[in-house]
Amino acid sequence: MHNIPSEIFRVAYGDLCYMKHNLIQTMVSTLVGPLLYLLAFGYGMRAGDSDYIAYVIPGIVAISSMNSGFSSSSQKIVIQRLFHSSFDELILCPMHTTSIIFGKCIMGIIRGLVGGLIIIGLGMILTSGLQITVWLILAMLLSSIMFSLLGVAAGLLAGSTPTLMMFNSIIILPMSFMCGTLFDIDSLPSFVADIVWVLPLSHTSAIMRATATCTSFDPISIVVVLIYVAIFYTVCHIVIRKKLY
Amino acid sequence: MENEEIIRAEGLVKRFGKLTAVDGLDISLNRGEIYGFLGPNGAGKTTTVRMLTTMDLPNEGTIVIDGYDTRTQYLQARGCIGVIQQQHSLDKDLTVKENIFHHALMQNLSIKESKKRMMELAELMELTDRMNDKVSTLSGGWKKRVAIVCSLIHKPDILFMDEPTTGLDTQSRNLLWKMIRNINRTGTTIFLTTHYIFEAESLCDRVGIINKGKLIAQGTPDELMEHLGRFALVSTDKEGEQTVQYFPDMISAKNASMDVDHEHTISIRHINLEDVFLELTGRRM
Repeated sequence: MHNIPSEIFRVAYGDLCYMKHNLIQTMVSTLVGPLLYLLAFGYGMRAGDSDYIAYVIPGIVAISSMNSGFSSSSQKIVIQRLFHSSFDELILCPMHTTSIIFGKCIMGIIRGLVGGLIIIGLGMILTSGLQITVWLILAMLLSSIMFSLLGVAAGLLAGSTPTLMMFNSIIILPMSFMCGTLFDIDSLPSFVADIVWVLPLSHTSAIMRATATCTSFDPISIVVVLIYVAIFYTVCHIVIRKKLY
Repeated sequence: MENEEIIRAEGLVKRFGKLTAVDGLDISLNRGEIYGFLGPNGAGKTTTVRMLTTMDLPNEGTIVIDGYDTRTQYLQARGCIGVIQQQHSLDKDLTVKENIFHHALMQNLSIKESKKRMMELAELMELTDRMNDKVSTLSGGWKKRVAIVCSLIHKPDILFMDEPTTGLDTQSRNLLWKMIRNINRTGTTIFLTTHYIFEAESLCDRVGIINKGKLIAQGTPDELMEHLGRFALVSTDKEGEQTVQYFPDMISAKNASMDVDHEHTISIRHINLEDVFLELTGRRM
């Protein structure tokens, strides 16, 4: 019988040690992007409009949780698979596949949560329209889990570092700008908006904005995010079990 | 426990696209032996090891490790094996201690047991003073020691070593051989792939030779050599081209040497495992 929570910690131990050794670098790389977005869009383009800052910060938190979750998981797995060969060691251990998948997500989840909380904390200083609520933390957790799972899947499937970079350029980067993080999706042409609403970041961004500003959101967003979680987890599971990595 | 089978693989086939890397391989290991697996580059050694250690699935065939079918009971099978891969599979960003402790945790050892085993094995491999060093700062020999500790942390019944001495200097290699013998004395079965025939001859109880994905010979080094004879007559022409003939006794070899062109340099020596390998595969390692 597998003790999945214990096994997840056992798998994540190596990544947690890595984070401990590189704490400053990890936090700086987590925060630089979101802070630049805040400066460029909140102050550069909107001259410090506090309503817009309250609008844009949850979007930036959504971007941050996506980038942190995806890059932490995918890059570490690609390095372990292709350069250190240490991913095979993980596969050789008597761990449940679910433990391996979620264990490899832990670093991305921690980075996503810590980065998101710092940005929201900063937002609360800059504007009065934001709050840290339990629902917001749950939303950040769900978003970090989803994008970390996507990172694990990409890390397992990428045959090289350039392939991973290409995935980042054609999937992650466009989502950062298009998915209602910095502007309202409904301002896009309707056919573009329809496509954008299919993407996962649109929904995590909507949920975070609603939970941080204590407004309502369409519950369908939660359903969509959970479907994406299930899809990404299933892809990881199949790839590991069928040894397609 | 003499001749108790601990690994049995039957009809293993592994294909990569149109290439058949392993083609109908049957292999069997007895508990407590050191089994050497030899083959030229690209013969299918590493692919075989990856299948036997559950890292890759065969396209055809079955593997039973210590009674567990690796297709259906792979987690139990993994609990019985330790693996030292050809490339160092350590996390270079972590310290020696963190790497070993991580391996112990991943083998489901308790924290207390992990620490105890880690200290025991670190002492055995003379690693105690290097525990806080980052793996990236270690030389190849030290990394190999760390890899051995990691692979033995859960007291596996079988240890797979894929070309463990490749890239090591003579001193480190001798030390590793001593360690392999010590590990084997504790009852651990060892499956060793190697490029070095003298290593197989010196360490292994039995040897299997693979070529083009097929096991073409298997037996003790003495059994394999006796198939060829006991003595080799080596004649070398002016261009350095060598011809080797095999004879059951010294007298036959000496008689044959009389017929060799007088411009050739000749020597008579005992047959070694390399002769067997060359005869069977037509290739050097």
